Amino acid sequence: MDAVLLSVSDFVDLTNQTLEYAYPVVQVEGEVAEFKVIQHKWISFKLKDDRALVSCFASVYQLRTPLENGMKVVVVAQPKLNDKGFFTLNIKAVKPVGEGSIKKGFELLKAKLEKEGLFAQERKRLLPRVPKRVGVIASTESAGYADFIKIINERWGGLQVDVAHTQVQGTPAPDQMIRAIRYFNSLEEMPEVLIIIRGGGSAEDLSTFNDEPLVRAIAESRIPTLVGVGHEVDHTLADMVSDVRAATPTNAAQILVPDRNEIIRTARAQANTVGNLLTQAIDNYSRQTKDNLEAAFTRIQQKLDDTFERLGVLRVAIAQLNPENVLQRGYALLRGEQTVGATLEIETFKTIITTEVKDVTSK
Amino acid sequence: MSQANNENKSVQDKLTDLSELVGWFQGSSFKLETALDKFKEAEALADTIEKDLTKLKNDIKIVKKKFDSEN
Repeated sequence: MDAVLLSVSDFVDLTNQTLEYAYPVVQVEGEVAEFKVIQHKWISFKLKDDRALVSCFASVYQLRTPLENGMKVVVVAQPKLNDKGFFTLNIKAVKPVGEGSIKKGFELLKAKLEKEGLFAQERKRLLPRVPKRVGVIASTESAGYADFIKIINERWGGLQVDVAHTQVQGTPAPDQMIRAIRYFNSLEEMPEVLIIIRGGGSAEDLSTFNDEPLVRAIAESRIPTLVGVGHEVDHTLADMVSDVRAATPTNAAQILVPDRNEIIRTARAQANTVGNLLTQAIDNYSRQTKDNLEAAFTRIQQKLDDTFERLGVLRVAIAQLNPENVLQRGYALLRGEQTVGATLEIETFKTIITTEVKDVTSK
Repeated sequence: MSQANNENKSVQDKLTDLSELVGWFQGSSFKLETALDKFKEAEALADTIEKDLTKLKNDIKIVKKKFDSEN
Protein backbone atom coordinates (compact mmCIF):
# COMPACT_ATOMS: atom_id res chain seq x y z
CA MET A 1 0.00 0.00 0.00
CA ASP A 2 1.30 3.44 -0.93
CA ALA A 3 1.92 5.83 1.88
CA VAL A 4 -0.60 8.69 2.12
CA LEU A 5 0.75 12.02 1.05
CA LEU A 6 -0.02 14.66 3.67
CA SER A 7 0.80 18.28 4.20
CA VAL A 8 2.88 19.02 7.29
CA SER A 9 -0.14 20.56 8.97
CA ASP A 10 -2.30 17.56 8.13
CA PHE A 11 0.40 15.24 9.41
CA VAL A 12 0.52 17.10 12.72
CA ASP A 13 -3.29 17.02 12.93
CA LEU A 14 -3.39 13.33 12.08
CA THR A 15 -0.72 12.55 14.64
CA ASN A 16 -2.68 14.49 17.28
CA GLN A 17 -5.93 12.72 16.35
CA THR A 18 -4.17 9.37 16.61
CA LEU A 19 -2.64 10.32 19.92
CA GLU A 20 -5.94 11.58 21.24
CA TYR A 21 -7.66 8.38 20.21
CA ALA A 22 -4.95 6.12 21.60
CA TYR A 23 -3.99 8.13 24.69
CA PRO A 24 -6.60 10.76 25.51
CA VAL A 25 -4.97 11.10 28.94
CA VAL A 26 -1.74 9.61 30.18
CA GLN A 27 -0.13 9.52 33.58
CA VAL A 28 3.63 9.70 33.45
CA GLU A 29 5.99 9.49 36.36
CA GLY A 30 9.44 11.06 36.20
CA GLU A 31 11.83 13.62 37.60
CA VAL A 32 11.43 17.34 36.96
CA ALA A 33 14.28 19.03 35.08
CA GLU A 34 14.77 22.44 33.45
CA PHE A 35 11.75 23.86 35.27
CA LYS A 36 10.83 27.35 34.00
CA VAL A 37 8.04 29.87 34.58
CA ILE A 38 7.35 31.92 31.46
CA GLN A 39 5.83 35.40 31.82
CA HIS A 40 4.24 34.35 35.16
CA LYS A 41 1.62 32.49 33.12
CA TRP A 42 3.15 29.34 31.74
CA ILE A 43 5.42 26.67 33.02
CA SER A 44 7.58 24.28 31.12
CA PHE A 45 9.86 21.51 32.28
CA LYS A 46 11.29 18.22 31.19
CA LEU A 47 10.13 15.01 32.73
CA LYS A 48 12.91 12.48 32.69
CA ASP A 49 14.03 9.11 33.87
CA ASP A 50 17.41 7.41 33.41
CA ARG A 51 16.82 6.71 29.72
CA ALA A 52 14.46 9.31 28.27
CA LEU A 53 12.89 12.70 28.69
CA VAL A 54 9.76 14.45 27.51
CA SER A 55 8.75 18.13 27.43
CA CYS A 56 5.85 19.22 29.57
CA PHE A 57 3.80 22.36 29.32
CA ALA A 58 1.08 23.87 31.54
CA SER A 59 -0.46 27.09 32.76
CA VAL A 60 0.60 28.21 36.22
CA TYR A 61 -3.02 27.73 37.37
CA GLN A 62 -2.73 24.00 36.76
CA LEU A 63 0.19 23.75 39.13
CA ARG A 64 -1.29 23.08 42.56
CA THR A 65 2.00 22.49 44.31
CA PRO A 66 5.26 24.35 43.68
CA LEU A 67 7.79 22.37 41.65
CA GLU A 68 11.53 22.33 41.66
CA ASN A 69 14.12 20.53 39.61
CA GLY A 70 14.83 17.07 40.92
CA MET A 71 11.32 16.47 42.32
CA LYS A 72 9.66 13.21 41.41
CA VAL A 73 6.16 13.78 40.07
CA VAL A 74 3.29 12.14 38.29
CA VAL A 75 1.76 14.23 35.54
CA VAL A 76 -1.72 13.72 34.17
CA ALA A 77 -1.46 15.02 30.62
CA GLN A 78 -2.49 14.91 27.03
CA PRO A 79 0.30 14.07 24.58
CA LYS A 80 0.50 16.50 21.71
CA LEU A 81 2.66 17.36 18.77
CA ASN A 82 2.66 21.12 18.36
CA ASP A 83 2.83 23.10 15.13
CA LYS A 84 6.53 23.70 15.60
CA GLY A 85 7.16 19.98 15.59
CA PHE A 86 7.81 19.59 19.31
CA PHE A 87 6.23 16.75 21.18
CA THR A 88 4.90 17.81 24.56
CA LEU A 89 2.74 16.60 27.35
CA ASN A 90 0.04 19.22 27.94
CA ILE A 91 -0.45 18.96 31.64
CA LYS A 92 -3.85 18.71 33.30
CA ALA A 93 -2.50 17.94 36.77
CA VAL A 94 0.82 17.31 38.41
CA LYS A 95 1.53 15.97 41.86
CA PRO A 96 4.70 15.08 43.68
CA VAL A 97 5.20 11.41 44.49
CA GLY A 98 7.50 9.69 46.91
CA GLU A 99 8.22 10.88 50.41
CA GLY A 100 11.07 13.21 49.46
CA SER A 101 9.20 15.03 46.72
CA ILE A 102 5.98 15.31 48.70
CA LYS A 103 7.99 16.82 51.53
CA LYS A 104 9.80 19.14 49.16
CA GLY A 105 6.50 20.31 47.62
CA PHE A 106 5.11 20.80 51.10
CA GLU A 107 8.11 22.89 52.20
CA LEU A 108 8.08 25.04 49.06
CA LEU A 109 4.37 25.83 49.38
CA LYS A 110 4.64 26.33 53.12
CA ALA A 111 7.42 28.89 52.62
CA LYS A 112 5.39 30.67 49.93
CA LEU A 113 2.22 30.88 52.03
CA GLU A 114 4.15 31.79 55.16
CA LYS A 115 5.67 34.72 53.29
CA GLU A 116 2.14 35.86 52.45
CA GLY A 117 1.24 35.69 56.14
CA LEU A 118 -1.42 33.02 55.73
CA PHE A 119 -0.31 31.16 58.87
CA ALA A 120 -0.04 34.29 61.05
CA GLN A 121 -1.56 34.03 64.51
CA GLU A 122 -3.32 37.40 64.01
CA ARG A 123 -5.46 35.83 61.29
CA LYS A 124 -6.77 33.11 63.59
CA ARG A 125 -10.37 33.52 64.65
CA LEU A 126 -11.97 32.07 67.75
CA LEU A 127 -14.64 29.42 67.43
CA PRO A 128 -17.93 29.94 69.26
CA ARG A 129 -17.88 28.11 72.60
CA VAL A 130 -21.13 26.32 71.85
CA PRO A 131 -22.09 26.57 68.17
CA LYS A 132 -25.69 25.93 67.12
CA ARG A 133 -25.05 25.22 63.46
CA VAL A 134 -21.92 23.86 61.79
CA GLY A 135 -20.86 22.71 58.35
CA VAL A 136 -18.76 19.59 57.87
CA ILE A 137 -16.74 18.67 54.82
CA ALA A 138 -15.80 15.00 54.83
CA SER A 139 -16.27 11.71 53.12
CA THR A 140 -19.34 10.32 54.85
CA GLU A 141 -18.03 6.81 54.20
CA SER A 142 -14.79 7.40 56.09
CA ALA A 143 -13.88 6.16 59.55
CA GLY A 144 -12.76 9.68 60.45
CA TYR A 145 -16.27 11.03 59.78
CA ALA A 146 -17.85 8.19 61.79
CA ASP A 147 -15.53 8.99 64.73
CA PHE A 148 -16.37 12.68 64.51
CA ILE A 149 -20.14 12.11 64.51
CA LYS A 150 -19.90 9.54 67.33
CA ILE A 151 -17.98 11.95 69.55
CA ILE A 152 -20.21 14.98 68.93
CA ASN A 153 -23.30 12.85 69.65
CA GLU A 154 -21.71 11.63 72.88
CA ARG A 155 -20.61 15.07 73.96
CA TRP A 156 -23.39 17.42 72.92
CA GLY A 157 -26.95 17.79 71.62
CA GLY A 158 -29.10 20.29 69.77
CA LEU A 159 -26.47 20.96 67.16
CA GLN A 160 -27.46 21.30 63.50
CA VAL A 161 -24.78 19.60 61.41
CA ASP A 162 -24.84 20.04 57.63
CA VAL A 163 -22.47 17.61 55.95
CA ALA A 164 -21.00 18.08 52.49
CA HIS A 165 -19.88 14.69 51.23
CA THR A 166 -16.70 14.97 49.16
CA GLN A 167 -13.75 12.85 48.29
CA VAL A 168 -10.88 13.47 50.68
CA GLN A 169 -8.10 11.84 48.67
CA GLY A 170 -7.20 11.52 45.03
CA THR A 171 -7.03 14.08 42.25
CA PRO A 172 -10.68 15.30 42.39
CA ALA A 173 -10.66 15.74 46.18
CA PRO A 174 -9.21 19.28 46.49
CA ASP A 175 -11.63 20.78 43.95
CA GLN A 176 -14.60 19.02 45.56
CA MET A 177 -13.62 20.37 48.96
CA ILE A 178 -13.09 23.87 47.51
CA ARG A 179 -16.61 23.73 46.04
CA ALA A 180 -17.99 22.62 49.39
CA ILE A 181 -16.18 25.48 51.18
CA ARG A 182 -17.62 27.96 48.66
CA TYR A 183 -21.07 26.39 49.00
CA PHE A 184 -21.14 26.89 52.79
CA ASN A 185 -19.74 30.42 52.43
CA SER A 186 -22.43 31.30 49.90
CA LEU A 187 -25.35 30.34 52.15
CA GLU A 188 -27.59 33.14 53.32
CA GLU A 189 -27.42 31.67 56.80
CA MET A 190 -23.87 30.47 57.09
CA PRO A 191 -22.84 27.86 59.64
CA GLU A 192 -20.88 29.20 62.60
CA VAL A 193 -17.95 26.84 62.06
CA LEU A 194 -16.69 24.93 59.04
CA ILE A 195 -15.05 21.62 59.91
CA ILE A 196 -12.89 19.71 57.46
CA ILE A 197 -11.97 16.21 58.55
CA ARG A 198 -10.19 13.16 57.29
CA GLY A 199 -8.78 10.16 59.09
CA GLY A 200 -5.22 8.88 58.90
CA GLY A 201 -3.54 7.87 55.67
CA SER A 202 -0.28 7.76 53.79
CA ALA A 203 1.70 10.93 53.08
CA GLU A 204 0.41 10.74 49.53
CA ASP A 205 -3.22 10.44 50.68
CA LEU A 206 -2.85 13.39 53.00
CA SER A 207 -1.03 15.46 50.35
CA THR A 208 -4.53 16.40 49.14
CA PHE A 209 -4.55 18.79 52.08
CA ASN A 210 -1.36 20.46 50.82
CA ASP A 211 -3.06 21.54 47.61
CA GLU A 212 -2.50 25.27 47.11
CA PRO A 213 -6.01 26.24 45.89
CA LEU A 214 -7.58 24.22 48.74
CA VAL A 215 -5.31 25.84 51.32
CA ARG A 216 -6.17 29.27 49.92
CA ALA A 217 -9.91 28.47 49.93
CA ILE A 218 -9.65 27.56 53.63
CA ALA A 219 -7.76 30.79 54.32
CA GLU A 220 -10.40 32.81 52.45
CA SER A 221 -13.38 31.21 54.19
CA ARG A 222 -15.59 33.78 55.88
CA ILE A 223 -16.69 31.02 58.23
CA PRO A 224 -14.12 30.17 60.93
CA THR A 225 -12.47 26.85 60.11
CA LEU A 226 -11.53 23.82 62.17
CA VAL A 227 -9.40 21.27 60.35
CA GLY A 228 -8.66 17.79 61.70
CA VAL A 229 -6.70 15.67 59.24
CA GLY A 230 -4.79 12.45 59.85
CA HIS A 231 -3.19 11.65 63.18
CA GLU A 232 -1.50 13.80 65.82
CA VAL A 233 1.87 13.59 64.02
CA ASP A 234 0.49 14.60 60.62
CA HIS A 235 0.78 18.24 59.66
CA THR A 236 -0.81 19.59 56.53
CA LEU A 237 -0.95 23.09 55.14
CA ALA A 238 -4.76 22.92 55.40
CA ASP A 239 -4.60 22.57 59.16
CA MET A 240 -1.83 25.16 59.45
CA VAL A 241 -3.93 27.75 57.62
CA SER A 242 -7.14 26.94 59.50
CA ASP A 243 -8.33 29.03 62.41
CA VAL A 244 -8.11 26.04 64.74
CA ARG A 245 -6.12 22.86 64.16
CA ALA A 246 -7.37 19.58 65.52
CA ALA A 247 -4.98 16.65 65.76
CA THR A 248 -7.59 14.14 64.54
CA PRO A 249 -11.30 14.09 63.57
CA THR A 250 -12.08 12.90 67.12
CA ASN A 251 -10.12 15.83 68.50
CA ALA A 252 -12.06 18.15 66.14
CA ALA A 253 -15.32 16.96 67.75
CA GLN A 254 -13.81 17.52 71.22
CA ILE A 255 -12.76 21.06 70.29
CA LEU A 256 -16.08 21.86 68.59
CA VAL A 257 -18.49 21.09 71.43
CA PRO A 258 -18.19 20.88 75.20
CA ASP A 259 -18.81 17.61 77.04
CA ARG A 260 -22.42 17.57 78.25
CA ASN A 261 -21.50 15.42 81.27
CA GLU A 262 -18.90 17.93 82.28
CA ILE A 263 -21.41 20.77 81.89
CA ILE A 264 -23.95 18.86 83.99
CA ARG A 265 -21.30 18.30 86.67
CA THR A 266 -20.39 22.00 86.57
CA ALA A 267 -24.06 23.06 86.82
CA ARG A 268 -24.57 20.70 89.77
CA ALA A 269 -21.40 22.00 91.41
CA GLN A 270 -22.64 25.58 90.94
CA ALA A 271 -26.01 24.72 92.50
CA ASN A 272 -24.11 23.08 95.40
CA THR A 273 -21.93 26.17 95.71
CA VAL A 274 -25.09 28.29 95.96
CA GLY A 275 -26.40 25.88 98.64
CA ASN A 276 -23.14 26.12 100.58
CA LEU A 277 -23.12 29.90 100.29
CA LEU A 278 -26.71 29.99 101.59
CA THR A 279 -25.85 27.70 104.54
CA GLN A 280 -22.78 29.80 105.24
CA ALA A 281 -24.86 32.99 105.14
CA ILE A 282 -27.46 31.48 107.49
CA ASP A 283 -24.67 30.34 109.84
CA ASN A 284 -23.16 33.83 109.77
CA TYR A 285 -26.52 35.44 110.50
CA SER A 286 -27.23 32.93 113.31
CA ARG A 287 -23.82 33.52 114.81
CA GLN A 288 -24.29 37.26 114.55
CA THR A 289 -27.76 37.07 116.12
CA LYS A 290 -26.45 34.83 118.91
CA ASP A 291 -23.57 37.23 119.52
CA ASN A 292 -26.00 40.16 119.61
CA LEU A 293 -28.29 38.32 122.04
CA GLU A 294 -25.35 37.39 124.25
CA ALA A 295 -24.19 40.99 124.25
CA ALA A 296 -27.71 42.13 125.18
CA PHE A 297 -27.92 39.55 128.00
CA THR A 298 -24.55 40.61 129.29
CA ARG A 299 -25.66 44.24 129.33
CA ILE A 300 -28.92 43.34 131.10
CA GLN A 301 -27.00 41.24 133.60
CA GLN A 302 -24.67 44.13 134.28
CA LYS A 303 -27.60 46.47 134.79
CA LEU A 304 -29.20 43.98 137.17
CA ASP A 305 -25.96 43.54 139.07
CA ASP A 306 -25.57 47.30 139.38
CA THR A 307 -29.18 47.66 140.55
CA PHE A 308 -28.81 44.88 143.11
CA GLU A 309 -25.63 46.48 144.39
CA ARG A 310 -27.40 49.82 144.79
CA LEU A 311 -30.31 48.04 146.44
CA GLY A 312 -27.92 46.45 148.92
CA VAL A 313 -26.49 49.87 149.79
CA LEU A 314 -29.98 51.29 150.20
CA ARG A 315 -30.98 48.32 152.32
CA VAL A 316 -28.06 48.97 154.66
CA ALA A 317 -28.99 52.66 154.77
CA ILE A 318 -32.64 51.84 155.41
CA ALA A 319 -31.67 49.25 158.03
CA GLN A 320 -29.67 51.89 159.80
CA LEU A 321 -32.68 54.16 159.85
CA ASN A 322 -35.03 51.48 161.20
CA PRO A 323 -36.42 52.62 164.65
CA GLU A 324 -36.30 49.01 165.85
CA ASN A 325 -32.50 49.16 165.58
CA VAL A 326 -32.51 52.39 167.66
CA LEU A 327 -34.77 50.73 170.28
CA GLN A 328 -32.42 47.76 170.28
CA ARG A 329 -29.57 50.06 171.22
CA GLY A 330 -31.59 51.01 174.42
CA TYR A 331 -33.49 54.05 173.26
CA ALA A 332 -37.28 54.34 173.69
CA LEU A 333 -39.98 55.82 171.54
CA LEU A 334 -42.38 58.23 173.27
CA ARG A 335 -45.85 58.78 171.88
CA GLY A 336 -48.46 61.15 173.30
CA GLU A 337 -48.89 64.76 174.35
CA GLN A 338 -46.24 66.07 176.71
CA THR A 339 -48.61 67.83 179.12
CA VAL A 340 -49.23 67.15 182.80
CA GLY A 341 -51.87 64.50 183.25
CA ALA A 342 -51.65 63.24 179.69
CA THR A 343 -51.10 59.59 178.99
CA LEU A 344 -47.89 58.68 177.21
CA GLU A 345 -46.91 55.50 175.45
CA ILE A 346 -43.28 54.49 175.80
CA GLU A 347 -42.04 51.83 173.45
CA THR A 348 -38.80 50.09 174.23
CA PHE A 349 -37.17 47.30 172.26
CA LYS A 350 -39.11 44.66 174.12
CA THR A 351 -42.00 46.47 175.88
CA ILE A 352 -44.65 49.13 175.47
CA ILE A 353 -45.28 51.12 178.63
CA THR A 354 -48.30 53.37 179.22
CA THR A 355 -47.69 56.16 181.77
CA GLU A 356 -49.06 59.44 182.95
CA VAL A 357 -47.19 62.77 182.70
CA LYS A 358 -46.53 64.13 186.18
CA ASP A 359 -44.39 67.06 185.35
CA VAL A 360 -43.10 68.87 182.27
CA THR A 361 -40.06 71.02 182.67
CA SER A 362 -38.25 72.86 179.99
CA LYS A 363 -34.53 72.00 179.56
CA MET B 1 -36.80 34.54 86.47
CA SER B 2 -39.93 32.53 85.79
CA GLN B 3 -40.17 28.88 84.75
CA ALA B 4 -41.84 29.96 81.47
CA ASN B 5 -38.91 32.24 80.67
CA ASN B 6 -36.48 29.40 81.27
CA GLU B 7 -38.28 27.12 78.83
CA ASN B 8 -37.52 29.48 75.94
CA LYS B 9 -33.87 29.82 76.82
CA SER B 10 -30.96 27.90 75.35
CA VAL B 11 -28.74 25.75 77.53
CA GLN B 12 -26.06 28.39 77.13
CA ASP B 13 -28.39 31.10 78.45
CA LYS B 14 -29.36 28.90 81.38
CA LEU B 15 -25.69 28.30 82.18
CA THR B 16 -25.14 32.06 82.14
CA ASP B 17 -28.12 32.55 84.48
CA LEU B 18 -26.71 29.94 86.85
CA SER B 19 -23.30 31.63 86.90
CA GLU B 20 -25.01 34.95 87.59
CA LEU B 21 -26.84 33.41 90.55
CA VAL B 22 -23.54 32.18 91.98
CA GLY B 23 -22.20 35.71 91.46
CA TRP B 24 -25.21 37.17 93.28
CA PHE B 25 -24.51 34.97 96.30
CA GLN B 26 -20.89 36.10 96.31
CA GLY B 27 -21.61 39.77 95.60
CA SER B 28 -22.73 42.81 97.52
CA SER B 29 -26.39 42.51 96.44
CA PHE B 30 -26.81 39.40 98.60
CA LYS B 31 -29.83 39.51 100.94
CA LEU B 32 -30.72 36.66 103.22
CA GLU B 33 -34.44 37.41 102.75
CA THR B 34 -34.29 36.52 99.02
CA ALA B 35 -31.43 34.01 99.20
CA LEU B 36 -33.65 30.96 99.67
CA ASP B 37 -35.66 31.76 96.53
CA LYS B 38 -32.44 32.30 94.59
CA PHE B 39 -31.10 28.99 95.85
CA LYS B 40 -34.29 27.20 94.71
CA GLU B 41 -33.93 28.93 91.35
CA ALA B 42 -30.32 27.73 91.04
CA GLU B 43 -31.32 24.15 91.84
CA ALA B 44 -34.16 24.28 89.29
CA LEU B 45 -31.78 25.66 86.67
CA ALA B 46 -29.25 22.88 87.30
CA ASP B 47 -32.09 20.36 86.92
CA THR B 48 -33.33 21.80 83.63
CA ILE B 49 -29.78 22.07 82.27
CA GLU B 50 -29.27 18.40 83.04
CA LYS B 51 -32.61 17.46 81.46
CA ASP B 52 -31.98 19.60 78.37
CA LEU B 53 -28.51 18.23 77.82
CA THR B 54 -29.61 14.64 78.32
CA LYS B 55 -32.54 14.78 75.93
CA LEU B 56 -31.08 16.96 73.15
CA LYS B 57 -30.04 15.15 69.94
CA ASN B 58 -27.94 16.52 67.12
CA ASP B 59 -29.62 17.04 63.76
CA ILE B 60 -27.25 15.70 61.10
CA LYS B 61 -28.16 16.33 57.46
CA ILE B 62 -26.21 15.42 54.37
CA VAL B 63 -26.23 18.31 51.91
CA LYS B 64 -27.98 17.24 48.70
CA LYS B 65 -25.71 19.25 46.47
CA LYS B 66 -22.99 17.27 44.68
CA PHE B 67 -19.50 18.67 44.69
CA ASP B 68 -17.91 16.54 42.00
CA SER B 69 -18.41 19.21 39.33
CA GLU B 70 -19.05 22.94 39.18
CA ASN B 71 -22.82 22.38 38.69
